[in-house]
Amino acid sequence: MTDQTKNILEITGTVLNIQRYCSHDGPGIRTNVFIKGCSLRCKWCGNPESIGMKPEVSYDPKKCKGKECSICLKKPFPEGGFYFVEGDDSKIKVNWQLAKGITEKITSLCPTGALEMFGKTMTVAEVMAEVEKDASFYRSTGGGLTISGGEVMLQPDFAAALLQEAHNRGINTAIETACNAPWSFLEKVLPHVDTMLHDLKLMNSERHKKWTGVGNERILANFKKAYETFPNVEFIARTPLIPGVNADDEHVMGVLEFIKPYKNVIDYELLPYHRFGLGKYESLGVIYELDDYKTPSDEVVNRFQAMIDEAFGRTEQRSV
Amino acid sequence: MSKETSQKRVAIMVGAGYIPGINAVVAGASLAAGQLGWELVGILDGFEGLLHPEKYPNGGIISIDPRVLNLDPNTSSVLGQSARVDPFNVRIVNELEMVEEVDMSDELLKRIKAANIDAVISIVGGLGMSILYQLHKKGLNTVCVPRSIENDIASTSVSFGFNTALTFTIDMLDRARLAAKAAHKIAVVEVQGEVAGWIALQAGIAVAADAVLIPEIPADLQQLATHLKNNMTGKKSWGLVVVAQGAKIINQQKKEEKVSSLKASLSPLATSDSNSEYVIHKSGQAAQAVAEGLQLRIAEETFPMVIGPWVRGGVPSAVDRQLGVAYGAGAIQALEAGSKGVMVAFVPPDVKFVPLAEAINKVRTIPAESMFFQVADSLGIYFGNKEA
Ligand code: SF4
Repeated sequence: MTDQTKNILEITGTVLNIQRYCSHDGPGIRTNVFIKGCSLRCKWCGNPESIGMKPEVSYDPKKCKGKECSICLKKPFPEGGFYFVEGDDSKIKVNWQLAKGITEKITSLCPTGALEMFGKTMTVAEVMAEVEKDASFYRSTGGGLTISGGEVMLQPDFAAALLQEAHNRGINTAIETACNAPWSFLEKVLPHVDTMLHDLKLMNSERHKKWTGVGNERILANFKKAYETFPNVEFIARTPLIPGVNADDEHVMGVLEFIKPYKNVIDYELLPYHRFGLGKYESLGVIYELDDYKTPSDEVVNRFQAMIDEAFGRTEQRSV
Repeated sequence: MSKETSQKRVAIMVGAGYIPGINAVVAGASLAAGQLGWELVGILDGFEGLLHPEKYPNGGIISIDPRVLNLDPNTSSVLGQSARVDPFNVRIVNELEMVEEVDMSDELLKRIKAANIDAVISIVGGLGMSILYQLHKKGLNTVCVPRSIENDIASTSVSFGFNTALTFTIDMLDRARLAAKAAHKIAVVEVQGEVAGWIALQAGIAVAADAVLIPEIPADLQQLATHLKNNMTGKKSWGLVVVAQGAKIINQQKKEEKVSSLKASLSPLATSDSNSEYVIHKSGQAAQAVAEGLQLRIAEETFPMVIGPWVRGGVPSAVDRQLGVAYGAGAIQALEAGSKGVMVAFVPPDVKFVPLAEAINKVRTIPAESMFFQVADSLGIYFGNKEA
């Protein structure tokens, strides 16, 4: 092992979860490595546990042993962080305000796993050991490693090392990103990427700001520069499709217009919104900012898909 | 406790969540402060006025003088409002144009000091109280005024805002009853109350509803259907069911989507758990779920209605106007008495100052022995599965 490889393997990052046998983020059967930290705050976010950069505590009342345990009422758990409500179902309640910031060490004292950490620090070597478990699948299906988030570009050194190491081992690489980061971060990651799936959430900057927290000027500039600077990367544009936010002709046409000049943007995928995050927001003590987003109808999705197929010159139409 | 007689500069702020008539609290504090020769100032939009003063052309702190300002208790807060009020978790766009949450509590305390503010009166709900408790532990001299639509703050008999919500809810239920009567249908009306069923039960009693479903007692839709059928024999061809937003329903299938492979790939911790007790959390869903569930078990037609955020508008009730002024004045009395880190509580016939450590982490739900249950029972109102 050369010194350089050794260094790469020792780089650490905060990983939320590693999910095997995925088939939606890049070609073939893939292993998705979700890393923590996001630089947008999309109001419809379905992965709230991936937003914060640091590991954070979560609570699953179904696992709590309740009063007979009561360990979290005592030190070293923070005073007032956990409590019981009289006459209630005897599960512990969490005062998220006071429980925030408790460490992994303290959380591990919960004997049932009702309290758990979202996110842990891992080295590239540790992540790759997991990823390599399915190496034979990657070979037979053309799959590989996908890094998702959170935002991949928020841990550029870790992501770059992971992708580079995957390439060193002959594994195909993909990332899923919204690219709200300085170009210097993207520049580190992209040389090691085979496929980049990237979100075009809203084409209108003012509306992008309202729904995600920032305007889209830098994001769009990053995409263009990425298409131009990395002609060998396959880019796939994506839109999380949400009625009332972006499920309209104008948006879909705007995206098609935006990617049209670039031959290395090989597809535009629609991700119809589903209310996936709800349970998890509750377990993190965060409340959905607006909880009544609808799932777009098949009719709407199929109509947009037909527009996309036409733009890509596909005669046989797919339905989503 | 020593009396604080020296001249003070006291600030007043409002936590997130709109409640009508907050000016009543501000007016009470202002008048009482004036009697002591103290100065009262208002922090605009939660703590925004202090954390981001650049947003306010005339500064984020306003001087409050009841003789100059229009502190009409019928109108809303002169202090404005912010959707998020948590100095430990302030959302910003950083220098790299990335969104993040930062802890600005130290900065806030510094700015409070720099503005020569000796104490802060905070008109807050349960969550706000925990935030103020944290700030108190870091050295802020604060007195909280309890504010809750659903009256779920423990240690006080009544929170500011509850009576107005109750009054409005009763008015709306009267209208829903007339609509049900005219249409010969069953109105299923969702009212506020995620953890505590005070509004549902008290309003339900006031309008003599057929049934009241609350978070405290799980309700069985089959029992409810039988109860309505029994009530609707003879001349009565309509029904009125009051459902709190957080009502617990048993024997109701939770609509749960199976975890698809797409979901699993997009969302790392995707699960599809279900349990037999269905707790309804989201506004609008309680009425819908109960109306649909009933419809399957009863011949009569049901229709859902949601009062929801409508209760947050309008003018305060007579009780809240008095209570607001009293709470405002009570907060000044607490400061005068040298109390720090307390909540002003109304425990008839007294106004008490309860330490925040005792006020947080308690939820004021309806106790099993409440006389309201006895009254509801005597009126023949169904309010849940008594055997459960
Ligand atoms: S330590 Fe865990 S199992 Fe025990 S009461 Fe707390 S949350 Fe429940």
